[in-house]
Amino acid sequence: MMGKQFTPDDASVVVVIGSGAGGGTVANELAQKGIDVVCLEAGSRLTLADVENNPPLMDARMGWHDKRIGNFLWVCKTVGGTTMRWSGVTPRLQAHEFRALTTYGQIDAGTSLIDWPLTLDELAPYYDKAELKMGVSGSHAIPPSEESNNYKVFKAGARLAGYQQVTSGRMAINPVARDGRPGCQQIGFCHAGCAIGAKWSTLYTEIPKAELTGHFELRANSMAVRIDHDKTGKVTGVIYRDQEGKLHEQKARAVCVAGNVVETARILLNSDSMLFPNGLANSSGQVGRNYMRHTFGAVLAVMPKPVNMHRSARQTGILFDEQAHNPERGFAGGYQLQAIGGDPHTMSDTLGGWGSEHTAFMDNYSNLAALFITGEDPAESRNRISLHDTELDASGLPVPVVEYRNHQNTDAMRDHAIGASRRIYESLGALHFWGGDAPVGCHNMGVARMSADPNDGVTNRWGQAHDVPNLFVSDGSIFSSSGAGNPTLTIVALAIRQADHIAERMNQKTL
Amino acid sequence: MEDSRLSRRKFVLSAIAASSVLATTKRWLPGNDAWAAESENSALTRLSRLLFPHPGLADVVYADVAASLFTSFSSDSANGQLLDAAASALDAQVGGNWFGVDEDRQVAAIRNIQGEAFFAAILAGLRGAFYYHPAVWSHLGYPGSSKEHGGYKHRGFNDIDWLPEIE
Repeated sequence: MMGKQFTPDDASVVVVIGSGAGGGTVANELAQKGIDVVCLEAGSRLTLADVENNPPLMDARMGWHDKRIGNFLWVCKTVGGTTMRWSGVTPRLQAHEFRALTTYGQIDAGTSLIDWPLTLDELAPYYDKAELKMGVSGSHAIPPSEESNNYKVFKAGARLAGYQQVTSGRMAINPVARDGRPGCQQIGFCHAGCAIGAKWSTLYTEIPKAELTGHFELRANSMAVRIDHDKTGKVTGVIYRDQEGKLHEQKARAVCVAGNVVETARILLNSDSMLFPNGLANSSGQVGRNYMRHTFGAVLAVMPKPVNMHRSARQTGILFDEQAHNPERGFAGGYQLQAIGGDPHTMSDTLGGWGSEHTAFMDNYSNLAALFITGEDPAESRNRISLHDTELDASGLPVPVVEYRNHQNTDAMRDHAIGASRRIYESLGALHFWGGDAPVGCHNMGVARMSADPNDGVTNRWGQAHDVPNLFVSDGSIFSSSGAGNPTLTIVALAIRQADHIAERMNQKTL
Repeated sequence: MEDSRLSRRKFVLSAIAASSVLATTKRWLPGNDAWAAESENSALTRLSRLLFPHPGLADVVYADVAASLFTSFSSDSANGQLLDAAASALDAQVGGNWFGVDEDRQVAAIRNIQGEAFFAAILAGLRGAFYYHPAVWSHLGYPGSSKEHGGYKHRGFNDIDWLPEIE
């Protein structure tokens, strides 16, 4: 599929860096309004025919493998970004989660909580649009997802443990055919790409829709390395490297950065200049800081009889009962439990360890049930993305350094969630139980956060840089706090809202 | 089976020759205490079984997993060094030939080095080779790729029948 082609010196285009949930969405939304967009994507463009039920092969094809130091992030370098790999879980944030500082207070000297400069009420209409765009199951007139074995175990155990709020909805996987994409066939390899396109990914939704407008050009295999600006501090274009290593510049009227936190922070920090000595849009010193990942955890249980967790979409089933802020539990914020499946390697890797304690679980693979814990993660300045002082990667860019440690609030929340999970599975007679940390790095937020006060963050309530009026950040980097649930729906809602704002500003000739 | 063992042995020897680290370290060269995964009777095969001890799973599978790890790790010098460091550390734990001591001592030696970075790398490598191995999948009852069968929508994704009635 070919869209329009723009010339490198066409300074009327908006350049979007990244084609995942944030970049793909903001690019399509702008193109739908008749605004010309060039989208630079570091990875290559796969088709559904390239998607095989082979996780290592697909990781080689679409995973991000450039050198990074520090904590691992489970992200992609491919058209569609991490929407190719994600599970599709799409809860909304709760009202109190937009007021993290007000609700929880500053937890200790190391935390750097702030409130969002917008409210749930303001975002709600965009959540509606995002849910309709993505086809979120159980929302609007879309049926909930079908109830798989792993979900039924989760739901029955939760009810016996006294929980009420369990749903098989809130998944951006078509339960039935919709929007030109088929219903889920329960193939079970969502994390290696959906082979039939039932799961929402920008590769086969936003990107081709944008191309049909005639206002959009995708440049795959184009790694953005630097954003240029003029003497007044407005950005003027993006330097990027093509597949052969040749550098190009695309001029721009405005730039939207959506590289997932590490690449978003890296390009801002790497775009330092006389005017912006600490990196572009970084007068606050907050670029790269307040990196949040959620309280992560995983639980495996050997059930008395077969579950066959591999026979369904990776995730169906969310428990909301524990997502409120209830300080009596001994921690700030709440969490969700989410039923999850996986192949033997995924389960073994989640358990970690070795020996007969390990094989006690793995020998019962058919009887395994599992769940994933995701919960509020307090912002801390020390958790950050920075650039290595001397080390360059294969393309000559400074290697990013990822520093992330769990807060004690996170550890306390995980312990509570593991206890709740134990009750869920033991109520059904689980024979073996394991719960622990799951440092998977699949939810990434905060490194260019929105703030009311420009000293506290990088962007304003529209994701527009405080320092640079025609520079926007369009991915999870702009989250002011993490909330409990998976970030993608909120990324998409914010991107739709941001595109409206950009178009309005352009109409008013103020951008 | 003999043929594949022979070809594996040939491959292992050429991998050792190609790896500067392993070619200069006696423990990887053919001999009674060799670490290289040329057969069911090697230290690396033994290590694979002790890490993932599935009763009833044939030795030849562990040998294959060990050979696979050896092939991938010996092909670059940084990983070759990790592999050599792990073997060296286990041998040092027993004051000689780790492969030659009894199982309890072998396991104790692994426990003593399990916090080391080189061990984590070897464990991750063996975990990948092992739990993606088709024979291991068969053993565990995991069928692998499903898209060519239309997934499980009509093949038991919701067939569980032992749960109590709720609601």
